[in-house]
Amino acid sequence: MENCDVLVVGAGFGGPVAARKCAEAGLDTVLLERSAIPGEKVVSGLVIPFYGFTFGPDFIREGNPPIERPICKVVNRFVRDGEIYATDSTLRVPKPLALGYAAYCKPFCTWLAGRAVEAGAELRTSTTAVEPILEKGAVRGVVTDRGEEIRCKVLIDAGGTQNRLAIQAGLRRKYLPEALELYMIWDFEMAKEDVDETFGLSMEFFHALPEEGIGAPLGYGSTLYIFTYRESIHPGLGQFLVTRGEIPNLARLLPRYFENFQEKVTRWRRDIAPKVRLRAVTWDVCPIYAGLIPETRNMPICGDGILVIGDAAGFEASAFGDGVPSAWFSAELAADVAIEALRRGDTSRSVLAAYEDKVREHPYITWIITDWRRWDLRKVLVSRSETELRRMIRDHWGIGAFRYRYSGRPLVKALREALRRDPRAPLKWMEMFTRYYHNWEENRFDPVSVPGREIG
Amino acid sequence: MEVRTSDRFPGVEWVGDPGDFIRVDESRCDGCANCVRVCLAECFEIKDRKARVRTLAECMECAACWYVCDKEAIMFSWPPGGTGFRTDWG
Repeated sequence: MENCDVLVVGAGFGGPVAARKCAEAGLDTVLLERSAIPGEKVVSGLVIPFYGFTFGPDFIREGNPPIERPICKVVNRFVRDGEIYATDSTLRVPKPLALGYAAYCKPFCTWLAGRAVEAGAELRTSTTAVEPILEKGAVRGVVTDRGEEIRCKVLIDAGGTQNRLAIQAGLRRKYLPEALELYMIWDFEMAKEDVDETFGLSMEFFHALPEEGIGAPLGYGSTLYIFTYRESIHPGLGQFLVTRGEIPNLARLLPRYFENFQEKVTRWRRDIAPKVRLRAVTWDVCPIYAGLIPETRNMPICGDGILVIGDAAGFEASAFGDGVPSAWFSAELAADVAIEALRRGDTSRSVLAAYEDKVREHPYITWIITDWRRWDLRKVLVSRSETELRRMIRDHWGIGAFRYRYSGRPLVKALREALRRDPRAPLKWMEMFTRYYHNWEENRFDPVSVPGREIG
Repeated sequence: MEVRTSDRFPGVEWVGDPGDFIRVDESRCDGCANCVRVCLAECFEIKDRKARVRTLAECMECAACWYVCDKEAIMFSWPPGGTGFRTDWG
C-alpha cells in the first residue's frame, strides 16, 4: 500500500494537465495510465481548436507540443451524386493564426505526461485502476490490476469516455447510448507536398442528404471529415449508437459510408485516392451529446474525495475536437479545487463542490456541453432542403457556430476574462501562433518523451 | 509480450493477454443482438438466442457493446495494464 495526496487516473489529454498543476503546487501526485505509453490507446483524429491553446494551460501555450499541421481554413463541401455542388470556405484566418492544430494522440499525450513528470508527478504506466477504494462512501484511492492499493486524499478521475471508476464509486452511471457516437477513422499516408497541394492548411468536411450514403442521417452523427496532418490525412465519420430510437447496424453502416465516399465522390477519386496509402483503421466511442441529454448532464462530477474531468465527466461536444479543450479546462479547475481542499485539510464533497461551480461558470465548458443548436441538423432530415442544409452547417455546426450570436458569447466572455487576468494576453497568443507556425514549418518540436524514460 | 496484428485493421497492435475483459451474463441476455450490430470487430455472435463473445482479438476497447446493452448483460472492464489494443495513429 502506498499513499499520495492526489491520484490522477488516466494520462490522456486531461490527466497530465491536472497532475502537473498539483505537482507544481507541491502535492505528492501520482499519474496512473493503463497503457504502456501515454496516448497509445487514445483514438480521436484530432484538430484541437485554438481556444484550447489560448485559454488553456500556460505550459502548453508556452511549450512546443508536437503538432501535425496548423489548420487555417475549414472547407465545407456539399455533395450530390458524387459531385460537389457548393463549397463554403468562409471560415478562415490568415497564417500564422490558426483555427486549430491537428495532432496525433500518442505523441501529444506523451508530451503532456512528460510535462507532468517534469513538475514532479510520478507517472506509472501499464497500470490499470481496477476499482476505487471506498470508505463510508468516500473515495480513498484505487486497487490496481496487480492488487496494489494506492491511497490518496483526492482522486482526479480522467479515465475518458469508458471510465468506470466514478460509476463503481456510485457517483455516475454509464452514458446513455443516445449520447454516444461511434466513429471510425482511416489514416492514410500522403506525401507532405501532396497534402500541401491538395489541402494546404485546411481541413475538409463533406455534407450531403442521407440518400447520398456517405454518412449518418443528418444530426445523428458526424459528417465525413478529412483532417490533414504533416504527411498523412485522417478521414473519419461517425454515427450515434441510437438513431431515431433504434440501434443501427453500425458494423455494416460505417464501413459502407466510407466505401461509398471512396467510390462515388469525385474529389476523393480524382484528387486524393491516387496519392494515398491506407496505414491504419481505428474507432472509438465519444460522448458527443452527453451535455444535451439532461440525465447525462445532471450526473455528478464530484463526490467525497473524487473529481471527474474531461470525457469521463461528459465534457465533449461537436466534431471540432471540443473534447480536448474541455479536458484541459476542467483539469485545471479540478486541480485548483484539489489544491485548495488539501490546503484546508478537507476533501469532502462539500468542499470539492466548488468544482461544480467553476465548471458551470466556465464559458467554454458550458457552451461545449449545452449548445443545443447542434440538434438542428435533424430539421434538414424533415425539410430535405439543400439550402437549409447549407445554412445549418454555416451557422451552427462545429467551429462555424462561433460566428453567430449565441455561440459567440463564450468567446467574448473568455476574452474578457483573459484580458482582466492579463492585459498582455493577446501578445502572448500572437507569440504562440507565430512560434507554433514556425515549429511546424521547421518540423521542430519539444522532444516527445517522459524525463527518465525511454518512451515516445 | 506477444504482439498481434490484423489484416482487416492495419496500424493497430494487440499486446499480451488482455483476458476476458468483456463478458456476457447469459442469464440477463435476451438475444437482442444490439452488441453484434455496433461491434466493428465482430466480437459477438448469437447462439441459442444468447449473445456470446466470439473473440476479442480485434477489440479496440470502445465499449459500444456495453453501452447498447439495456439488459446489463455485457460486463466491461479494462484489460490489465500494458495489454490489449494500441496504435500510433489515433
